Amino acid sequence: MEKLLEMAGRAADQAEVYYRDSVSDSAVFQDAKLHDIETNLLSGVSLRIIKDGKLGFAYSRNLKDRQGLIDNALNSLKGGVEANYDFPKAAQLPELATYEPSVKELSGEELVRQAEKVCQEIAKNTRAEIMAVSFTERQRTGIMNTRGLRVEFQSSVAGVYGSAIYPGSGSGISRMEQGKAMRDMSDELLKELVDLYNAGEKAVDIKGGRMKVLFMPNSMIALLWRLQSGLSGRSLYDKISPVADKLGQRIFHEKLTIVDDPLNDSYPGARACDDEGVPCQRRVFIEKGVLQSFFYDLKYAGKLGAAPTGHGYRSGQWGDDPVTTKPGPALRHGFIQPGNKSFQELVAMMDRGLIIEGALGAHSGNIPNGDYSIGVSPGLYVEDGRIVGRAKNVMVAGNIYETLKNVVDLGNRLYPAFGGFWVPPLLFQDVSVAAR
Amino acid sequence: MFEELKKTLSKISADYADIRYERMSENYIAYSGRELVTLSSNDTDGFVIRVLKGGGLASVAFTKPEEAEAAIRIALENAVLFAQKSRKPVRFAEVRPARDEFRPQLSEDPEKVSLEEKMALLKNYNDIPLSAPQVVNTNIGYAEVKRSKYFVSNEGSEIREDLITVSIRGQITAREGNLIQNIRVAIGGSDGFGSLRRQEDHFEKQTKLVCDLLKAKPVKSGVYRCIVNPDLAGVFAHEAFGHFSEADIVETLPAMREKMKLGAKLGSDILNIIDDATIPNQLGFYRYDDEGVAVRPTPLIKNGVLVGRLHSRRTAAEFGEPLSGHCVAEDYRYAPIVRMGTIFIQPGDRDLQTLLGLLGDGLYLLDAKGGQTAGENFTFGANYGYEVKNGRPGEMIRDINITGNLYQTLLDIEAVGDDLELSRAGGCGKGQTNIRSCHGGPHVLINNLVIGGI
Repeated sequence: MEKLLEMAGRAADQAEVYYRDSVSDSAVFQDAKLHDIETNLLSGVSLRIIKDGKLGFAYSRNLKDRQGLIDNALNSLKGGVEANYDFPKAAQLPELATYEPSVKELSGEELVRQAEKVCQEIAKNTRAEIMAVSFTERQRTGIMNTRGLRVEFQSSVAGVYGSAIYPGSGSGISRMEQGKAMRDMSDELLKELVDLYNAGEKAVDIKGGRMKVLFMPNSMIALLWRLQSGLSGRSLYDKISPVADKLGQRIFHEKLTIVDDPLNDSYPGARACDDEGVPCQRRVFIEKGVLQSFFYDLKYAGKLGAAPTGHGYRSGQWGDDPVTTKPGPALRHGFIQPGNKSFQELVAMMDRGLIIEGALGAHSGNIPNGDYSIGVSPGLYVEDGRIVGRAKNVMVAGNIYETLKNVVDLGNRLYPAFGGFWVPPLLFQDVSVAAR
Repeated sequence: MFEELKKTLSKISADYADIRYERMSENYIAYSGRELVTLSSNDTDGFVIRVLKGGGLASVAFTKPEEAEAAIRIALENAVLFAQKSRKPVRFAEVRPARDEFRPQLSEDPEKVSLEEKMALLKNYNDIPLSAPQVVNTNIGYAEVKRSKYFVSNEGSEIREDLITVSIRGQITAREGNLIQNIRVAIGGSDGFGSLRRQEDHFEKQTKLVCDLLKAKPVKSGVYRCIVNPDLAGVFAHEAFGHFSEADIVETLPAMREKMKLGAKLGSDILNIIDDATIPNQLGFYRYDDEGVAVRPTPLIKNGVLVGRLHSRRTAAEFGEPLSGHCVAEDYRYAPIVRMGTIFIQPGDRDLQTLLGLLGDGLYLLDAKGGQTAGENFTFGANYGYEVKNGRPGEMIRDINITGNLYQTLLDIEAVGDDLELSRAGGCGKGQTNIRSCHGGPHVLINNLVIGGI
C-alpha cells in the first residue's frame, strides 16, 4: 500500500489510498429451518488523486497491477472532475474500541445456534411463520494520503434478527439485536416481538382519515431518508434543501433532539474519522426542534466554503461497496434522543391510530421536498389505547417538515434503524391515512 | 481460465460443486447540473464457489485467488454443518451439462466508442433539461457494465457468457418557490451503445413534464379506478405479482405457498403474464443463468390462473416443477438467487381510447418511480397523472403513490390494452441489485387502487 501511495504521489499533486478487507458470515433460517450459510471474503483498494485541481478515481480488488490502477486514475482526470480541496493532514485521533476479537473466533455452530434459538422462542409463543438470520462481519480499513495521514482500524459487528410472519401475508414483526460482538437476543426484545405479533394476529379493515401514527424503528426509514436529504451539504449545494435558510430556527417539535455521535463506541461502527480521514466529533443537528447544523464531506465543504464535518463516507443509500464508491456526505451515527414513555404508554396515548412496523416505498416520492407516501406492512390498528388488529391496504402520507412538528411523545428505548441511526418509537398526531 | 477453474474445482470433494469467475468492467460518467462529478473506468474480478454435500449447501465468495483453498475449506465445513443441522436435505433439479460460449449481438460495442464521445452524448442529453429555467438541478449518469462470466460445474458444464448493459439515467429537479418536483429519465439496454443514440425526444419530453408538474395539483388520497400506462403496468407486474412467482420467496412461506399453488385463480380472466428473457434486443436478455441453466420463456398467469413459476435448481427440485433458468447473481460478490428476467403483462385487444371510455371517471397514471413489495402488499409511485372525466384526461396531478394487495389487485384488472412496451433500464433490489431487471406491459385498467396522496 505504501508503495502504491508513493507511486501515485509521484504521478499527481496529492494521492489517497483507501483499502479494506472484510469477512462476513451469515446463517439464514426460513420457515424456522436452516436455509443458507454464506461467507464473503471481499478485499479491495481504492485510489483518489488530485492533479491541477482535478480529481482522479480508480479501484481494484488487489495490488497485482499498481501501475494499471494509477493509469486508470490518471485517465479519469481527463474529464475534469473538479477537486477544490486538499486531502486532510494527520490529526490526533481518539482510540476507539470498535473491534471484538470474539467475532473472529465465533464458530459456524454458534452462528447457526443463535438464529435457531430465536426461531424456537418465536415458535413457542406464536403461530407465526418464522425467519431468522444471524451474521458477523469484521473489517480492516485503512486510509493514507500523501499529506502524511495514516489511519488503520479494525471493526466488528454481529447480530441476530428474527421475524414473525403472518401466515399468507408474507409480512410480519421483526426485531434485531446488534452489537460489536454476538450476543443472544434479549428476552425483552423477544417478548416485544411476540406480543406485537400476537396483538396483530387478527386482520381488520379500517377507515382512513387523520389520526395518530406511531412510527416504529423499522419504518423510520421513511422519515430519516428525507431528514438526511434536508441536512446534507450536497442538498445545500444543489439548492434543494427546504431548510437551507432555517439555521437557528425551530423546524421540528421541541421534543426532538437529534445528535450525531460517531465517537460513541458502545455502539458498533463507531469512528474516529470518516472515510476521507477527517476527524469525527459529536455534533448536535437538531436541539429541541431547532436546526443547529448541516453535514459535509470534503467536496461539498469545499464548494460551499464550509468546514468539513467528518461526514464523508463511501456508501450510498443501498449500502454500496466502499471500495468502488466515492465518498459523499452521509450521516452514519445519528441518534434521536429518547423520551420517557414505554411502548405500552405510547399505545395508551392513542385514541385512534396506527402503529407502523414496516414502510413500503420509503425510497420513492419527492424526497428532497420531505414528502413521504408509504404502504404500511404491517401496521397495527389502535382504538382507545388498545391494539385491535392488523390493518390491511393502508397508506400513510405526509411531509416530514409537518409531521416532525406534530410529535406527541417519544419512546424510552433506542433501536437500530436505517443508515446507522438509533431511534426510539415516535408518536405523531394528525397524520393522513388512506385505506381501502 | 477454464483450466484453472477446473483445477480448483477438482480439489473439492462433494456431491456437487460449481465455481464462477467474473471479470467486471465498469465505466461511469455523471453530471450533477453542469458539473461533471464522476468519470471512472475500472476492472475488478472475483469468484464464487458453491458446494452441495450430503444435502448441505454452502457458498463462499472471494476476491483473492490465493484465498481459494480457504474458501473451499469454509464451503465444505459449512455444507457439512448445514447437513447436520437441517431436517431436509437440499437437492438440485437435474440439468443437462452445457458447454457453450455466448456473446450477445450488439447494435454497437460500447468498448469501441471513445470516452470523449460518451461524455459528449451524455452532456448533450444533460443540457436539454438544463436549458429550462425552472430546472434547478440534474443528476444524470452514463453506466456501462460488462460482466465476463466463466462458469464450471463438476457435472461438466463449461459456460462463457458476456453481459453488457448500458444506460443513461437519472433525475431532473425543477423548483418554483418552495415546491420541488422531480422526474426520472432512463434510456439504455443490453444490446449495445446504439440504444443510447438519438434519444433527445425522451429528455425533451421529461423536461416538459417536470416543468408541468410545478403547476399540477397534488392527488387527493383515496380509492380510485385507474388506467396505468405500460411503464407502470410493468412495475405492477413486477411488484404486485412477480416477486411471488420467484420460487425462493414462497418456498418457505407455507400459507402463501398453499395459496400460490399452480392452478390457483389469482387474476381476472383477461390477465396473462409471462417472463421471457429470451426475447432479443431487450434489457433483460440472457442465455444462461448463474447455475448454468438455459433461460426459457415461462408463462406465469394464463387467463387469470397461475401456471408457472421462476426457479433455481434448488427450488425446482423442492417444488417438483420444471426448471426455468432464473437463478441470477448481481456479480462475483454473490451466490445466485431467483430473479425475474423480463416479466410483462401480455397485451389484450383494447386501444387506449376504448380504455378511457371504459374508465369514464378516474385517474390516468403514468411512469413508475420506484416500487417495493413486502409479502402480499406492494407500493409504487407514479411520476405523474391526469384526472379523467367522461373518458377525457384533464388536470395534471402529482405526488402519486399507490398501494395494493397481491390477492385482490390482480382480480381488479378490468381491461387490458393492445400495446406493449418493455423497460429500458432496471434496478431491482432483493438483497442484490439486478440492473437488467426488465418489465413491461400494455395500458391496463384497474379498479380499487389505494392512493396515498400527501
